[in-house]
Amino acid sequence: MVKRDPDAGGGLNPGRRLWIAGQVQGVGFRPFLYRLAGRHGLTGWARNTVGEVELLVCGPAEALEHFTRDVVGAAPAIAAPRIRRVEAWDGPVPAQFRILASEAGAQPRIFVPPDYFTCDDCLQELGDAGDRRHRYPFINCTQCGPRYTIIRALPYDRANTSMDSFPLCAACRKEYQDPADRRFHAEPVACPACGPQLSWAEAGAEPLQETESALAAAVAALAAGRLVAVKGIGGYHLVCDATDEAAIARLRRLKPRPTKPLAVMFPLAGHDGLDALRLAVMPSAAEAELLRSPQRPIVLARKRANTLPDALAPGLAELGVMLPYSPLHALLLDQLQRPLVATSANISGEPVLTDATEVESRLAHLVEGCLHHDRQIVRPADDPVWRSTGGRPRPLRIGRGCAPAELQLPTPVARPLLAVGAHMKNTIALAWEDRCVVSPHIGDMSSERSMEVFEQVAADLQALYGVRAEEVVCDAHPGYATARWARRCGLPAHEVLHHHAHAGALAAEIDSDGPLLIFAWDGVGYGGDGSLWGGETFLGRPGAWRRVASFRPFRLPGGERAGREPWRSAAALCWESGREWPACPDADGLARAAWERGLNTPGTSAVGRLFDAAAALAGVCLHASYEGEGPMRLEASLDEAPPPPAEALPLRPDAEGVLRADWEPLLAPLLDDSRPVAQRAALFHERLAMTAVEVFCALLERHPVAAVGATGGVLQNRRLADRMQALFSARDVTLRLPSRLPANDACIAFGQVVERAASDAQGG
Amino acid sequence: MALDEARIGLAHGNGGRFMRELIQEIFARHLGGGVLDTELDACPLPSLPEGVVVFTTDGFTVQPLEFPGGDIGSLAVHGTTNDLAVAGATPLYLSLNVFIEEGLEVTVLDRIVASLARAAREAGVQVAAGDTKVLPRGEGGGLYLATTGIGVRRPELQLGMAAIRPGDKLLVSGSVGDHGICVMLAREQFGLRGDLKSDSASVFPLTSALLDLEGLRFMRDPTRGGLATVAHEIARASGCSVRLSEPAIPVRDAVRSVCEMLGYDPLYLACEGRVVAVLAPDAAEQALQTWRALPGGEDAAIIGQVDPEGRPVVIETELGGTRMLEELEDDPLPRIC
Repeated sequence: MVKRDPDAGGGLNPGRRLWIAGQVQGVGFRPFLYRLAGRHGLTGWARNTVGEVELLVCGPAEALEHFTRDVVGAAPAIAAPRIRRVEAWDGPVPAQFRILASEAGAQPRIFVPPDYFTCDDCLQELGDAGDRRHRYPFINCTQCGPRYTIIRALPYDRANTSMDSFPLCAACRKEYQDPADRRFHAEPVACPACGPQLSWAEAGAEPLQETESALAAAVAALAAGRLVAVKGIGGYHLVCDATDEAAIARLRRLKPRPTKPLAVMFPLAGHDGLDALRLAVMPSAAEAELLRSPQRPIVLARKRANTLPDALAPGLAELGVMLPYSPLHALLLDQLQRPLVATSANISGEPVLTDATEVESRLAHLVEGCLHHDRQIVRPADDPVWRSTGGRPRPLRIGRGCAPAELQLPTPVARPLLAVGAHMKNTIALAWEDRCVVSPHIGDMSSERSMEVFEQVAADLQALYGVRAEEVVCDAHPGYATARWARRCGLPAHEVLHHHAHAGALAAEIDSDGPLLIFAWDGVGYGGDGSLWGGETFLGRPGAWRRVASFRPFRLPGGERAGREPWRSAAALCWESGREWPACPDADGLARAAWERGLNTPGTSAVGRLFDAAAALAGVCLHASYEGEGPMRLEASLDEAPPPPAEALPLRPDAEGVLRADWEPLLAPLLDDSRPVAQRAALFHERLAMTAVEVFCALLERHPVAAVGATGGVLQNRRLADRMQALFSARDVTLRLPSRLPANDACIAFGQVVERAASDAQGG
Repeated sequence: MALDEARIGLAHGNGGRFMRELIQEIFARHLGGGVLDTELDACPLPSLPEGVVVFTTDGFTVQPLEFPGGDIGSLAVHGTTNDLAVAGATPLYLSLNVFIEEGLEVTVLDRIVASLARAAREAGVQVAAGDTKVLPRGEGGGLYLATTGIGVRRPELQLGMAAIRPGDKLLVSGSVGDHGICVMLAREQFGLRGDLKSDSASVFPLTSALLDLEGLRFMRDPTRGGLATVAHEIARASGCSVRLSEPAIPVRDAVRSVCEMLGYDPLYLACEGRVVAVLAPDAAEQALQTWRALPGGEDAAIIGQVDPEGRPVVIETELGGTRMLEELEDDPLPRIC
C-alpha cells in the first residue's frame, strides 16, 4: 500500500508523470532511473510498457526539474530516450522508488534494440580471475549483449527471448532483480552455472560439451590452420588463421570464393584495443572510433604493405577489418593472439547461417570443426560493413549492431506499409506513421534461404512493432523475386521505380523543401521506359521526380550475364561505337552475332556498366568472381597522383529532352596501352565526376536547385564520391551522399517507403 | 519428281491441275500406301484397338524449316505423337494440314514431306487425311503445318498430375535444350557448333516402356518453356514444391557453352524428343534403368523430387546453394546490379 509521505513536496505539484520513448528498453534504462531518482531524493515508480518507459517521480520541485533534465542528459550511452509526454501528478505519493512489472500497453511505441558488443565493465569481469563470470563467453549486462537476434516478441523480457530456456541461478536472479545492479533486467543475463555453453564438434570425434574444453579445441584447431565455423551473435562465421596462406587458399577453394575479399578480426591490444589491427591497416581517426563502437562493424581500411597475405583481398588496396564483437570472440582472439579470417558462414549470396545442423550439413565440404553454443539465434544479422567515402565512414551493409535501423520519415505514411526492397543486397522496411524500420542485410533474393529469411523478417518486424502492414511497395522490375512476392501476398501492391527509390532514400536525409537534383548511378534497375536505368539524374522531390539527364544507351550482350562479366559491357561500348577491341573474349563472334541481331541484349544507361567496361578495357578485370569486382579493382589501381585535368563528357538532349552524356570519348584513353593503368583509371573517374558537375550547370540555367545529392552503388567508389564532392565544393555546392543507409540497393526498401508516402500525400 | 515448277505458286492451291500434281507427286508419293486415299473426301479408319481413344492437335511454325537433326515435317509428327505418347497412348493416325507460302521451293517441300513420312513410319503412325493451302507471298513463313493425332490408351491407366505425391521423383529422358539452341543457331545463321543437333524424335518407345510400372504417375514432353515450365506445371497442379538438382540435369557441353555465351538458361529451352516423368520413389530407379537401356534414353537421369511444401520450383546448385526457378517471363531482364 502506498502512504502519503507528509514530508514530500509540500507544494501544489508533489510529482510528475513522464512517458519516455526512444531506445529505452533493453538498455538498462530502468536501473538508471532508479539510481537517478535516488540521487535526487525522489520517490515513485517506473515500468516498461510496450516500447516505452512510464514513470512517476515525486519530490521537491527543483529536484523534479533536475531529474527531468538528467533523464535525457545523463542516460546510458546506448540508450536514446525522448520525453514524449509530461503530466503533473497530485495523487498519492509513494514512500520509495520502485520498478514495477512490465505491462503490455495498448499504445505501441516500440524500439527493438540492436546487438551490442561487450561493454568495458563486462570486459573487465571477463578477464578477472576472481569474478564468477571469468572467461564466460556469454557475459553481458544492460549495456551490452545480444538483443535483436534473440528477441521473439515484445515487450523485451527474458521470457520473450531465446534465453527463456536458461532458468536463472540464484546469483543471477539476485542481480536481475536488484534495481541498483548493472544487470537489473538484463534479459540475456547468464553465468557459467545457468547460462549458455559452448560445444565443439568435428567429424570423427566425440563432441565436447564443456565450454572451456570446446574453446580450447577451437583454439587448437585454428592454430593448426584448420577451417572452423564459429557461432556468434547473428550467425556463424567461417574462421581461419589470417596469417596462414594455406588455410586461406583452402577456404577460398572449398567455399568456393576465389577472389572476393575476406574480413579479418584482430585481437584487442593496446590502450584503445587497436594496436594489433594497426599493424595491418591504417584506419583514420573516424574509422578507429567506428571500429571501437559497440556496433563493432567491419570497416574497410587501407592496407599496410607486406603484412598479411595478399590473398585476403587480392588486387584491392583495402582490407575489411573488425575487432571482436562478443565476449566469445574476445576470448578466442585473446588466446590465439593473431588475426583471424571471419567471413559469414553461408552459401554465396544467402543470409548467414544460424543453425548448427544447417552449418554441419550445408558446409560439410569445408568446415573442419564447429564451435557451437546453445543460445538460439532467432533471426540472422550479418556483420555490418562501413567504408569511408566523401570524407567520412558510410555504411555499405546494415547488420548486427545497427539493425533494425530506425529512420524518421519526412512525410508520414497514410497506412502501415511493408516495402520489400530490390533483389541484390536486399533489406526490407516496415513503416507506420512517421516511423520506418529497416531490416538487416538479407542478401541476394534468388535463393530459397533468402526468401525464407525475407518472409520471416517481414512477419517478425510486424509482430515486434505491433504493426500490421496494409499495403506493400515493391520494385517495378517484373523479374525480382520480391516484386513477385509482393504481387502475390494478398495486400495492395504499389510499384516504385528502382532509381526513384534510390533518390527518395537520399532525399529523406536532406533537410530541404526545395527542388533536389539527385544523381542515381548504379548497376542496373528497371526504368520507366522498360530499359535498364543506372546513370540517371532526377530533379524534383520524392513522389515527383523528373528524369533530366542520363547516359547514351547501349545494349548488353547476354543480358544478366553482363553483371558478372565486365568484358560484355566493354564489348557493348566498342561494338556500339564501331571500335575494335582485340582483347574481347568473344573469340568466335557468337556474342557479337547475337548482339547484332538483338538476342538477349537489353538496353541500358547504367554507369555501373561503364565502370565494368572501363575495368575490362584497361585490362584490370574481364571476368568477375563477385559483384563489383571490376570497378573495385579499377579503383584499387589508382595511385596517389593528383587527378588529371579532364573534360566532362559531351551532353546532348535526346528526343524527350533528357540530357544524354556520351561515353564514347572514354574509350580511346582506356584502350591506350602506352599509358599506365593508374592514369587511365584516374582519367575515367575524373571525367565522370566532371560530367556530374556539367549536368548540374546545364540544368541550373533553367531550373532552381535547392540541394544536390548522389547515390546508387557506384557512389561506394571513394575516388568518384570524393572527386564529385570536391568539384561541387569548388562551385560552393555541398554534394550530399547517403550517410544513414548504404548507397547501394540496401536503401531501396526505405526509398520505396519515402516515395510511396510522398506520392500518397500528393494524391498519386 | 515431275512437278514442272521450281517453286510453289498460287495455282498450286486453286484446285486445278497444279494442285492435283502437287498432291500426287509430293504428298501421295511420300505418304501413300496406307489408309491415306487422296481421292476421297473422308477416309474410313480401320477399327481401333481396345482402349480409350486419345485425341490431340498441334500447329508448327518453326524457322528455319530445316535444321540439324530435323525439320518442320519431322517436328509435325513428333510434336503431336509425343503428346499422345506422354498421355500413355499408342499413336495411330495423324491428319495433316499444310499451309504453303507462295514461292517455297518445291525441292524443299519435297524433302520436308519425305522427312515427315519417315518420321511417321518410325513413330508407327499413318497420315490418314490431309489438306493443302497456298498463301500469297508474305503471308506465311514458308510453310506452316498442323497435325491432329489419334491414339489409344489402355483403359486402366491413370496418369495425370493429380496422381503426384510428395516424395515422388522426377526423371528426364535425355539432355535438355538441344532443340531450342540448335534451332536458334540455325535461324540466326550463327553456323554449326560441334555435333549440336535437335533432339526431335518420337518418345513413344520411352513412354511405352514405363507404362507397366506401378509407380508411374505422370509424363510430359518439355517443349515450349522447357524443363522449368514443366516443373512449374507440376508444382501448380500438385500444390507441392518441385526440387531439382542442377548437377543431375543432363545438358550437353555444346549447349551449355552457347547458353553461357548468349546468357540463356537451358532449363527454359524447348526439347522435342524428351520426356519428363514423375514416379513413385521406389519405381524411379527401375524407370531410369529401363530408359537408359533404350535408344534415346542413354542420358536419362533422376533430376529431382516432389516436396510437400516450399517454393514452387527450387534448384539446388553445384555449390550447395539453391536458386528459385521462376516462371518464364516474356523477356527476362537482368536483375544483377
